[in-house]
Amino acid sequence: MDCSYFRERIHHYVDGELGYLEVAELQGHLSFCPDCAAELAQMAELRGALASWGKVELAPPPGFAERVVAAAALEPAPAERTAGRVVNDVLEALDEALGRLPLPGGRTIPVKNVIGAGIAATAVLIQVERYLRRARELKPL
Amino acid sequence: MSTSNLHKWATLPDPTPADLAKAAAGDVDAFKTIVERYQGMVYSVAYNVLGDVTDAEDAAQEAFLRCYRKLPQYRSEAAFGTWLFRLALTASVDYQRRERRRPEPVEVPDVADQTQTELGAGITATTLVSALHDLPDDYRVPTVLRDIYGLPYQEIADLTARPLGTVKVMVHRGRASLRLRLRAEREA
Repeated sequence: MDCSYFRERIHHYVDGELGYLEVAELQGHLSFCPDCAAELAQMAELRGALASWGKVELAPPPGFAERVVAAAALEPAPAERTAGRVVNDVLEALDEALGRLPLPGGRTIPVKNVIGAGIAATAVLIQVERYLRRARELKPL
Repeated sequence: MSTSNLHKWATLPDPTPADLAKAAAGDVDAFKTIVERYQGMVYSVAYNVLGDVTDAEDAAQEAFLRCYRKLPQYRSEAAFGTWLFRLALTASVDYQRRERRRPEPVEVPDVADQTQTELGAGITATTLVSALHDLPDDYRVPTVLRDIYGLPYQEIADLTARPLGTVKVMVHRGRASLRLRLRAEREA
């Protein structure tokens, strides 16, 4: 039996993405397909182990905290408003306020990037237009 | 790296608003208490995303420096640990996208201190970490974000700058590969 359809469905099932009818269809298949039932059980075990591993805190290498603090000490105080930080904060605030635009294929792009690209393109067009106008004006008679 | 000190830092107190204010004003001693409190969490996130101890240290340091720079922006609506966790995830994925060029993991570094930490269903930490290591980055990163840290697929797609459908396929393949690997080890 070709179970590839249901094997894919198992992933959607563990992700909670199946509707009621789809769950019933999968359960019907699992009731007479021991291989797929075993795959679902192993998938559940795997996800349980991964979730448990995520709760484990690993010890970083010795001296890690000291190295981080030494690097931080070289930076300006966080509350200090340097020009770079102001620009960064504005960009991040824009990012948060404007969100992201969907693109074909399921990708998304930050709206601020689109606006930035638009401003850059406009600046280039203005320069090109100026250059062409100047070239026309300088054209010998 | 050792897992013998599991949750050691969880016993340290959370930073108070006064501690955070001092650190934001540039008090590195106050910042050090924050680093000591959360270094295990941040390093673990970086290690799980990157699967390499050296890269994990670099990414974890970058996460803390981002935290330091952004301290004035922290608002207490979210728990500080949650806020820092997001910074650690973003810094680690950014590091992976920026620095990692190798298409395949080429070695399993000496990790996890060969711990036999039991994660359920007879799966040990050593087995799981080794299996995660053998996944290509393209599979491991979205699988870690989805199944270890429970991020929604759309958020993973945004973080990794990949199409949603591609991310789902990568997670499915990552899981399938891990499942087969663990099953083979169990049968061996």
